[in-house]
Amino acid sequence: MAADQLSPVVIQVLQDLTILFFAPLISGIVARIEARFQGRRGPRILQPYYDIAKLFRKETLVPEDSSWVYLAAPVVAFTCYLIVPLLIPVLTSYPLPLGYMGDILGGAFVLSLAGFSVSVAAAETDGPYAQLGSSRAMTFGALIEPALLFVTFTVALITTTDLPYFEAAAARASLSQVVRPAHLLAVVAFFLVVLSDTGRIPVETHSSTLELGMIDEARTLEYSGPPLALLKWGAAMKQLILYVILINVFTAPWGLAGSRSTGSVILAIPIFLAKAVGVGTLFAIIDNSFSKLRLFKLTEFMAAAFLVAGLAVLALYLGGG
Amino acid sequence: MMPALLAPPSTFTGTAEAITLLVLLSEFAMLRAPLSRSQIRLYAFQSLVVSGLAFYVAADRHIGDLYAVGTFSFLLKVIVVPAVILRLLKDAPEDLAGSHRLGVASMVLIAIAISVFGLFVVASLPIASILLPKAELGLATAAILVSFLLVIMRSDVVSQAVGFFSLENGVSVASLAIASGLSLVAEVAFFFDLLVAVVVLGVLMRLHHGRARTLSTNEMDRLRG
Amino acid sequence: MEWILTAILVVPFAVSVLSWWVPRRVAEALTLGSGVATFVLAWTLVGSTKPVNALGGWLRTDALSTVFLVAVAFLYALTAIFAIGYLRRSGDPSEDRRYSRRYYAGLNLFCWAMAVAPLVDNLALLWVAIEITTVVSALLVAIDDTEGATEAAWKYVIIASLGLGIALFATIIMYSAGTAALGNGYNFTYPVLLSAAAHLPSSVVRLADLLAVLGFGTKMGLFPVHTWLPDAHSEAPTPVSALLSGALLAVSFYAILRFFQITERALGPAFPRNVLLAFGLASLALAALYVIIQRDLKRLLAYSSVEHMGILAIGMSFSAVLAVVGVLLHVLAHAAAKGTAFFGAGSVLRKLRTKDMARIRGVIDVLPWTGPMLVLAVLALSAMPPFGIFRSEFLIVAGGLSSGSDWEAAILVGLVTLAFLGLSWYATRSMMTPVLDPSSLQGSAATRPAPPTRGETSWWMVSSMVLGLIALAILGIHPPEDLAHLLYRAALELGARR
Repeated sequence: MAADQLSPVVIQVLQDLTILFFAPLISGIVARIEARFQGRRGPRILQPYYDIAKLFRKETLVPEDSSWVYLAAPVVAFTCYLIVPLLIPVLTSYPLPLGYMGDILGGAFVLSLAGFSVSVAAAETDGPYAQLGSSRAMTFGALIEPALLFVTFTVALITTTDLPYFEAAAARASLSQVVRPAHLLAVVAFFLVVLSDTGRIPVETHSSTLELGMIDEARTLEYSGPPLALLKWGAAMKQLILYVILINVFTAPWGLAGSRSTGSVILAIPIFLAKAVGVGTLFAIIDNSFSKLRLFKLTEFMAAAFLVAGLAVLALYLGGG
Repeated sequence: MMPALLAPPSTFTGTAEAITLLVLLSEFAMLRAPLSRSQIRLYAFQSLVVSGLAFYVAADRHIGDLYAVGTFSFLLKVIVVPAVILRLLKDAPEDLAGSHRLGVASMVLIAIAISVFGLFVVASLPIASILLPKAELGLATAAILVSFLLVIMRSDVVSQAVGFFSLENGVSVASLAIASGLSLVAEVAFFFDLLVAVVVLGVLMRLHHGRARTLSTNEMDRLRG
Repeated sequence: MEWILTAILVVPFAVSVLSWWVPRRVAEALTLGSGVATFVLAWTLVGSTKPVNALGGWLRTDALSTVFLVAVAFLYALTAIFAIGYLRRSGDPSEDRRYSRRYYAGLNLFCWAMAVAPLVDNLALLWVAIEITTVVSALLVAIDDTEGATEAAWKYVIIASLGLGIALFATIIMYSAGTAALGNGYNFTYPVLLSAAAHLPSSVVRLADLLAVLGFGTKMGLFPVHTWLPDAHSEAPTPVSALLSGALLAVSFYAILRFFQITERALGPAFPRNVLLAFGLASLALAALYVIIQRDLKRLLAYSSVEHMGILAIGMSFSAVLAVVGVLLHVLAHAAAKGTAFFGAGSVLRKLRTKDMARIRGVIDVLPWTGPMLVLAVLALSAMPPFGIFRSEFLIVAGGLSSGSDWEAAILVGLVTLAFLGLSWYATRSMMTPVLDPSSLQGSAATRPAPPTRGETSWWMVSSMVLGLIALAILGIHPPEDLAHLLYRAALELGARR
């Protein structure tokens, strides 16, 4: 092995660390861009780091009557967010040793386990808003699930596997794979799924402090101290993970390290961050261009996502599109 | 290591399919659109896509007739028909929320189900499209079925009329797919027919609105049995 | 002979345009002239044993299309006569001018489209002609501008247009079936399709036929897509109701027969016949039941139309040539009988100002000519000898029995008898019961309108009914030799067994 070749294990750890350490940064940059769109100066880019650091220094308050689940949930969620980057192409275009551990559905399950544990913990507390958020999160999570499944089916029909690495490789193989109708529809559907899962407009106003409109955010209202820090950090990681899948699996799997050489792997990090900021900007634009749907109208959004994903599968299955 | 990929469609197939998918998606959007004016705009968009498809096929396959078809459909369906309807609706109220007989999400799910039905029925037929990819006819059929749903599930006169017009759009795509050789005379006759139908529907809409002061068809319940 | 087809294509259309500009008296005369001329021209085609082509093959009549052309033209002429009397009594002279202008322009255009439909030699143009009939007749249904008329017209135009959307789809599918045998861009005419029928892909033709029966069946009034029919027939002005029922439904049936003809050649007779049998039985059963519970005179006649369309469809499902001849004769007889019945209903409506059969009393006393003739027309509709419908239904049933469809024929007879009971019971009761029937004396004497005076409203209206009944009697007692041959040739064109 040449001197400048990194061992796959190191690269895999590096992928995890990239997500772990840069997630708050991306959140900060996106928040800043969003503020600019709204004509504000906005917070410092590093503000999320300060928030997390501050929360780690605070004491932890636990509601009466809540069990060990309440404290375990943030840890479980955080661990889940550390597992998913092992499965997806963050920095490299070739699969790493643990890359075969789970497919797209596996990754989705791990992500929903995180969401589930937070929801269970929220349901444990006495806070009515937390419980409301918990039930809403489970409801809408279940409603958006079919769309995600059909996106997976699309990938499976195109690549005959459902491993994210192969979908990325298919997109890299030729441009005509990217612009084929089924792929475009799948991308749109997945985009809608990401909008919903990251709690963005038109599903949720992520920066709002109005509890009645909250879905995901409401679940963490009862938390304080280090567990809240973990949850906030986890939320930033989840957002970045979804960006990674959107970029490196579906839309633009270019700029990834093709070999194990230190240089190319290190170079892949800033390229990836730049792409993530690009996607974040797109989300910020959408955030500023649309208004939030009424809660009872959210099913329309989910139905639209399902429609697009379903058409992707049909186009493939019936027309080879 | 790398599994075999499903070969991507040719540029022509992919583009034609993507255009037809837009026709179907705009049909779904009409199903949802709450305001009559946005529905008419969606219809204009859908017609634009259909005439675009005609031009694309004409240019790619060098069929002169289809240029004429595309031009006619552009002039009539993108410009004249929406203008006529919007003009007739000038003094009608904008707000039509609540003309859905079912929730939007349920309607979309039903529409998906019947689209799938249409797609599979057509896929099982041995109809060979001469010009367009195989999925075209199925997508056109799906659009036709969804336009039926639009007429059935929306209880206002504009939706029902737009449902009929967009039904014609679906049939246009179907005719591009499997009957492009249909003589130009017949095609042009279709268009003029449509124009007449638009005027008639418009006149009736006005009559209804002038009489009932509403565009809702819920008032139309006198005749039974 | 070619000039006849061209003349039929030109004359009613020209009259329609002229009617918009000229005074009412002139429009009446023009319409009458055009109606009679169209009928005479159509009748001259009856004797020609060979198909007639015109305008470079765009127009063509064979025996089948001549039958329908004659039915349309006959009703056109009758309606032109009736309309003169009907319109002169409509009151309010200031509105009269605008109303009659629209009315005559629309009426002529409507008849023109219905006459052109059997003339064109192209499935696509056939569809176009039928779609024109829809839009024109929808305006005619709405012409009275009442709440009911607008509602009926809206339902009619939406349901019929959707049906025709399906029919257009069927047409396109049939075209694509043809491309499999004839290549792209062939001539979409009946002879071309029929000659290539054996090579058409069967499942595609099957779909096209099914969709065509469903689509054109909407206009023809087959169950379950008949729902617009009673509304439109009852709310339209009476002459329009007569045309809708007697001619328009027949023209839609003609379109179905064209698909039937091709499908029968391509797939053999079983499939298209079974499709028609299913729709026909359902329509007949529904109509027979609805006829029994009707209270509105014009709706009663409308459901009777559904019933007769059901009979036509069932008749086509019998293979014997006798049955098919009966079906075609039924088209003609139904046009005459239903026209006459609607004319009578219109006269009653004008005189008594109600369509409610519970309030229609003693018509025979009030209208000494119309009353008996309306009773006769209704009896003719319920297949009473010696009128044409008796003969045609007899032929259909006899044909059904001779081709081994015993059960179907038995059901047909049973349902027709049921409808007969309903139709004749209600109609004759309201005709014959004296005006001062105790059961009609519900309100106090002050609120009750004065009993209408005795006397006919208009002799134009009476004479149209006389002509209709004469035609019915001729069809029933002894159809002209030429016509009988024509029906026989048309039946053979439809693939009936000798």
